Amino acid sequence: MNAQDILARMDALETRCPKLGHQVTFEYCRQESLKRPCSRALVCWNHRLPVEMILKKLVGEETYEAVFGGPPKSRVESLMEAIESAKQRCNAGGSGPREAPS
Amino acid sequence: MEQIKVFLDESEMPRQWYNIQADLPTPLRPPLHPATGQPIKPEDLAPVFPMNLIEQEVSTERWIPIPEPVLEKYALWRPTPLYRARGLEKALGTPAKIYYKNEGVSPPGSHKPNTAVAQAYYNKVFGIKRLSTETGAGQWGSALSMACQMFGLQCRVFMVKVSYNQKPYRRSMMETWGAECIPSPSDRTQAGRKILAQNPDSPGSLGIAISEAIEDAVGDPEARYSLGSVLNHVLLHQTIIGLEAQKQLEKLGVYPDVVMGCAGGGSNFAGLCLPFVRDKIHGKNVTIVAAEPTSCPTLTKGPFRYDFGDTAMTTPLLAMHTLGHDFVPAPIHAGGLRYHGMAPIVSHLLEEKLIEARAFDQLETFTAGVQWARAEGFIPAPETNHAIAAVVQEALRAKEEGKEKVILFNWSGHGYVDMAAYDAFLSGKLTRYELPEEEIRRALASTEAFPKP
Repeated sequence: MNAQDILARMDALETRCPKLGHQVTFEYCRQESLKRPCSRALVCWNHRLPVEMILKKLVGEETYEAVFGGPPKSRVESLMEAIESAKQRCNAGGSGPREAPS
Repeated sequence: MEQIKVFLDESEMPRQWYNIQADLPTPLRPPLHPATGQPIKPEDLAPVFPMNLIEQEVSTERWIPIPEPVLEKYALWRPTPLYRARGLEKALGTPAKIYYKNEGVSPPGSHKPNTAVAQAYYNKVFGIKRLSTETGAGQWGSALSMACQMFGLQCRVFMVKVSYNQKPYRRSMMETWGAECIPSPSDRTQAGRKILAQNPDSPGSLGIAISEAIEDAVGDPEARYSLGSVLNHVLLHQTIIGLEAQKQLEKLGVYPDVVMGCAGGGSNFAGLCLPFVRDKIHGKNVTIVAAEPTSCPTLTKGPFRYDFGDTAMTTPLLAMHTLGHDFVPAPIHAGGLRYHGMAPIVSHLLEEKLIEARAFDQLETFTAGVQWARAEGFIPAPETNHAIAAVVQEALRAKEEGKEKVILFNWSGHGYVDMAAYDAFLSGKLTRYELPEEEIRRALASTEAFPKP
């Protein structure tokens, strides 16, 4: 079996995604975050595949470290980042600051 | 005939939610704003949440009154019954008494409406016309869709595209309740358009859907964002589950030795457990367990569970010998095995050692779920199966020890819209070690053949 066949077989494997709440394939998990692996990919796959080795080969050491090297962001941190980004996008798009509706 | 269910009359429904922040031995550390490094202030949240909910988010009042209009909506399915799982007890041959709160009786089939209804109400009172949110499989999206319809709010749900395509019935539920369900990434937001420009076939992710839902709310003065997990006010609204359970157990004259729930975003776990954490803080001897999904590389070699190596969760998950076996697995990856996404209150309770976490592999959880369905009839949601796996473990431990423990857990929802997951399990698609590692290693040696991101 060549590398492409192996990758195709791995990509077709399914697991339950605790973030989405349904079955996803390994192909989805290895490029979930804008083509970078999902930060839970190690947790979800390490019992079925040598996922650390596979992801390092697929995305390179640098990207791997960027995703898995540091502590994961908390959901509240992610939320605040998303709010700040959305405010910037809306302001750049011409929306003014909002008031509470009366 | 032995009693199976304990009901409460509607008049016995709790009139207040319980706020654990009033009883914490040490205060919850305020989350820091990633841009400033300073504690998040109410005004930081104001662009996406109404101030009446932000007040609940930061409140340290022990009891928060449940508004009458919320109680009226709750009464459509609440109080939920407390069941005794005699079938499972018999199947396991355990002396343990297993009780569960059936939160699957709500219209969308889970505990999620407990906060969806409250959030819709508070937004309505604040003058908001439309709520925006994200959803994966659709459990939260469908709960909020129903709640918005109840209070005359519009609802827009950004559903991760891979989920949108895979879970058509959840999407139909949302639309039946009048919500607008949009596959994400979409062309409705700058965030979505940017992703689509890079990759028109993007299957989406929860992160992208969150960005779209938040941008959608920030850009419309009459809209706000709604989140179904993690935040303090979400957990607060869920405490009605545990408060009802306490009344129901009191009617039976029993008190649990162990209280369990599955903890993803923490809301269903907290909903049942926080009132019992209060009892524990005040001296009750009760073990409280959060059951989590994780992988487990050596299940075939011996029963053990992963647990946090230290209470601050700064170390990798470590194997704990929960059933007396002496198998020690090889050390595995550090960074990726840390927990992601737990609610700050739940993390804090772990640090305070008021609760403990146990993690279960998906094969174990589905095995427990099928065992449950065959013993008790109801088919659980796959998330609920984590709690059931923890209950089975505890009940078997009680059997080993010959103890008549009382176990209470939250049966957080039914699995009728999740049968594809059961199908994957029953057809053997979730088996381990499909590919020999040596074969993969050989193939990976020629990495040039692999696509690069």
